[in-house]
Amino acid sequence: MKNREFDNILNECLERLLVKGESLEQCLARYPGQAAELKPLLETALAAREASAIQPRPDFKARAMYQFRAALQERTARKSRTSWGWFPRWATVMAIVLVLVLGGGGTVAAADSSMPDSPLYSVKLATEQVRLTLTPSQMGKARLCAQLADRRVAEIAYMAGKGNTGQVELVTQRLDRHLALLTVLVLAQSGDEEPMLMAPPTEEAGAPTEPPTTDEAPPEPVLAPQPGKDWGSSDDTARNGNRAQLRDTLVSNAAHNRAVLHAVLDEVPESTRAALRRALAVSEDGYEEVLEALE
Amino acid sequence: MQDEESLVRRAQKQDQEAFAQIYEEYFDRIYRYITLKIGDAVEAEDLTQQVFLNTLRSISSFKWRGKPFSAWLYRIAHNQVVDYLRKKKKTVVPLEETLVSGGDNPQLAAERKLDIEQVLAAARHLTDAQREVISLRFTSELSIAQVAEVMGKNQGAVKALQHSGIVALRRALSVTKNEE
Repeated sequence: MKNREFDNILNECLERLLVKGESLEQCLARYPGQAAELKPLLETALAAREASAIQPRPDFKARAMYQFRAALQERTARKSRTSWGWFPRWATVMAIVLVLVLGGGGTVAAADSSMPDSPLYSVKLATEQVRLTLTPSQMGKARLCAQLADRRVAEIAYMAGKGNTGQVELVTQRLDRHLALLTVLVLAQSGDEEPMLMAPPTEEAGAPTEPPTTDEAPPEPVLAPQPGKDWGSSDDTARNGNRAQLRDTLVSNAAHNRAVLHAVLDEVPESTRAALRRALAVSEDGYEEVLEALE
Repeated sequence: MQDEESLVRRAQKQDQEAFAQIYEEYFDRIYRYITLKIGDAVEAEDLTQQVFLNTLRSISSFKWRGKPFSAWLYRIAHNQVVDYLRKKKKTVVPLEETLVSGGDNPQLAAERKLDIEQVLAAARHLTDAQREVISLRFTSELSIAQVAEVMGKNQGAVKALQHSGIVALRRALSVTKNEE
């Protein structure tokens, strides 16, 4: 028998066995001439089919679903921001002008203390971005990232207290990005990391060849750290001192922020508690990573 | 699952409910596909999650050109696996941490776990293309036509790979059992 004909018969039997629910004997009875050859193959297919009993762990599945929904919400929020069109650009331009011309002017100061549910919050984020971009040294950027992480934790605690789960999730993602950038800055200083434009990834390794359209707001760019350079000082002693100082600051911040989030954990609505726990985990993991990078 | 095309079009417009339906429909199947492909149930978790995050980011680029959405989704999963295997020398982790459905019968679940570990071990002896077909056919339960779409091959070629894959799997399984 030609191979192609046998391939078709085998496939027909597999369909009957695996999809239509026929028994092995029924399948073999349809093709008595090939039964001897078919039998071991169909038995093997049934064994392989056992692998369909693999299930992801429920806790992983729940965590993955949570992260997916958070990413989805952030994407939707970004999309709705772009529907305002002018607003992010306006906020950025205004922030640049205010930072450069007025320094600590009233609007910037007011925006600085705004929370995510405030109209001035976009100005606050844009101002931070401008400051980060304009900060010349990597040590300066790293210190600023540490400050921004503190701010995010305060915002998370505030929004959690108001039961705003969506904002807790969004701010948690920002916290995650600040701590990740901090780690990259530290690693770059150690020479372990390739220089890169620090921005949320837009090209994904697993995406098919069709390029994703960029109908969303562009990622926030931050000037790339250069490995082993520009850490505020070329002197090794001073650099080591800076690193030790940053490590002390981060150890203290990590403990403080953990305490802040723990303090509100029992007071927030039940519906927000899972998001807050996730924020705690992101905070602890993020600080752990950056402290490891500093070792 | 409702009409796939309208569901995907809604997801492309950032409809959260549509995305949730797609996620629920495919999550376990993509996880099983990846587990069989890489033989590591724990790494498969991260890769599965990444597949859906990538899908979220790039779904707007998906165009209806007569190919099913599932073919596109499995293509993302395939690329993710290829990328993973290229970057990392895999270390195979047994299914200790992974659940295997066995109803309320722990003994059945344990036996299944053993069987599945043998299948995963045996699958490593297959060629990439054979493993792809076996995984898509028997753990993701795609039809020959769907597998052909995912792999960009004609149905005859997929049937031939299915045949040779089962033969190779049988050979590897008998070796595994003889070693025990």
